[in-house]
Amino acid sequence: MTDAPSRVERVLNLLALMLDTRIPRTREEYVREIAGYPEQTEANRRAFERDKEILRGMGVPITMETIGDGNEVGYRVRPDDYCLPDLGLSADETAALRVAVSAISLGDGSGHGALMKLGGVGDQASAPIASLPIAPALATLFDAFRRGAVVTFSYRNETRTVEPWGLSSKRGHWYVVGFDRDRGAVRAFRADRIAGDVEVGDSDAFEVPGDFRPDDHIEDRGWLLGDAPTVNVRLEVDADHLDGVVAELGADARVESGPDGNTFVDVAVSNQAAFRSFVLGFLEHAEIVEPPEVRAAMIEWLETVAAGAAGAS
Amino acid sequence: MSPKPVAGAEVQRILAIVPWIVANPGASKEEIATRFGMTLEQLDEDLLLVLMIGVPPYSPGDYLDVDDDGEFVTINLADQFSRPLQLTPAEGLALLAAGRTLLAVPGSDPSGPLATALTKLEGALDLPNVVVEVGEPTYLAAVRDAAARGERVEIDYWSAGRDDLTTRRIDPALAFFAMGEWYVSAYCHRAHGERMFRVDRIRALRATAEQFEMAPTDEIAEVFTPAPDDPRVTLELDASAAWVADAYPAESVTTRPDGTLEVELAISEPAWLERLLVRLGPEARVLRPESARAAGADAARRVLARYRPEASGPSRRR
Repeated sequence: MTDAPSRVERVLNLLALMLDTRIPRTREEYVREIAGYPEQTEANRRAFERDKEILRGMGVPITMETIGDGNEVGYRVRPDDYCLPDLGLSADETAALRVAVSAISLGDGSGHGALMKLGGVGDQASAPIASLPIAPALATLFDAFRRGAVVTFSYRNETRTVEPWGLSSKRGHWYVVGFDRDRGAVRAFRADRIAGDVEVGDSDAFEVPGDFRPDDHIEDRGWLLGDAPTVNVRLEVDADHLDGVVAELGADARVESGPDGNTFVDVAVSNQAAFRSFVLGFLEHAEIVEPPEVRAAMIEWLETVAAGAAGAS
Repeated sequence: MSPKPVAGAEVQRILAIVPWIVANPGASKEEIATRFGMTLEQLDEDLLLVLMIGVPPYSPGDYLDVDDDGEFVTINLADQFSRPLQLTPAEGLALLAAGRTLLAVPGSDPSGPLATALTKLEGALDLPNVVVEVGEPTYLAAVRDAAARGERVEIDYWSAGRDDLTTRRIDPALAFFAMGEWYVSAYCHRAHGERMFRVDRIRALRATAEQFEMAPTDEIAEVFTPAPDDPRVTLELDASAAWVADAYPAESVTTRPDGTLEVELAISEPAWLERLLVRLGPEARVLRPESARAAGADAARRVLARYRPEASGPSRRR
């Protein structure tokens, strides 16, 4: 054993001792006990810090406590915090989780890491079924939920203070749903629109109501996202596009055949700008017929667009 | 100076393997390597490292003990490492999100092993309520069925990009959910090539009683793969339209000091650009190419013609 211990060996031995010790130990004690740390103080301090970062980076809960008369800092890992509890998964259940991780692409390798801890990834790749990329903020929000911690983040240029009550995905977007403390109401936030870092407050700051379902609070129909009074709007839709319009409007739409074989769709709207955008997705295959003021607003918009580019520089 | 992630990955792998071998004494090395996605050589290297792990005073009984006869392996004295490390928040989220998503796919068994596994995870780890919806367009089941059985189908398909309805025979290879929609990749006998179809734009589907030879599919095709020769369009967007850069794969995005953005998009279908411009209105301006500058205004006039037939025509109104 003349070879210097490898980095991996040093890190594993550091973790073994941190788990084994009942009292927190100082950095000096660790670097003295464990083979492979440099002699010189500044160098071994840096090496120790880097090793600690590796362990923390993979989720090892290293606690820092003051010891002695309070001048010294000690570190250790409590075995209860370190260990994954026995989940009691059957072989079928573990296999089902493997299929899920393999078939659903979330845009990072965390699912793979989780399977390793649950007893291996296996060698069977499943055909891909869905891709639902996870925004970086989601893992932080997920952790805040587990700890019952209030989060603060920037959303649409405003600072929001939210109790994260649940996560949900609709139409390919991830949302965090929770109680917005400033607004005093439940709100949904698109995770990919949360700008910058999420600040996480103290643990156990709130409780989630037992009957809470996050998906009840996500409104993905933009034309209903508004404080304006609801207006009933009638569209005339080309026959070839009726299925598409109805598929988007969902159960809210009422379809009616006109006298000349044309088709009308009635829908309630509380956000006219969003509804205009929806209708324009069908270009000249859909037309707002009623009420007159909504129709006039559409015509005005189209006239602006039609004139805009002509006069653009 | 980047041994850090490498060392981290190796440490993580060893911390996953050790508890499993402790719980399964005498496991075959072949099985361990397969399970953990590694080669036998890697496993041997890892087991040599495991022998070096111990605690003070580092007498023989203080090290992990590896009993390796070349084919089967047992690990003893691994008190500290008899259980795997806790899941990180990202890992817990990944398991739950992947599981809930697969369970939301129409046809999944709502009370099968995946459902019970997720219930156990949520209970033991106190995980949040994660609800996933992936929708179910009318012909999804029929398309997935045809792909699974290798059956050619005939579809009436609305192409939003060209804004027309066509009938074509396709050999569906794989149906998948991406960017909030269900797609099917298929060989199209009309286009004589691989094409991607949005399942919600299939207006009718008929069986043909013809079979096709299935090819293995193990990758989700890129939904938007800009062809190198697709025309590029550069837009100037107001800050309020910045979502465009997130919603569509942009070739390049530049945010100017005043908050406006310059975004380059690959555009294969003219109707797609028209739709975007007519929706954005004054929030967007086409910078390049010259030929696309009037695309939004032209589309607006076409739609306007439907509202005001008498006012249509080539003359520009104000």
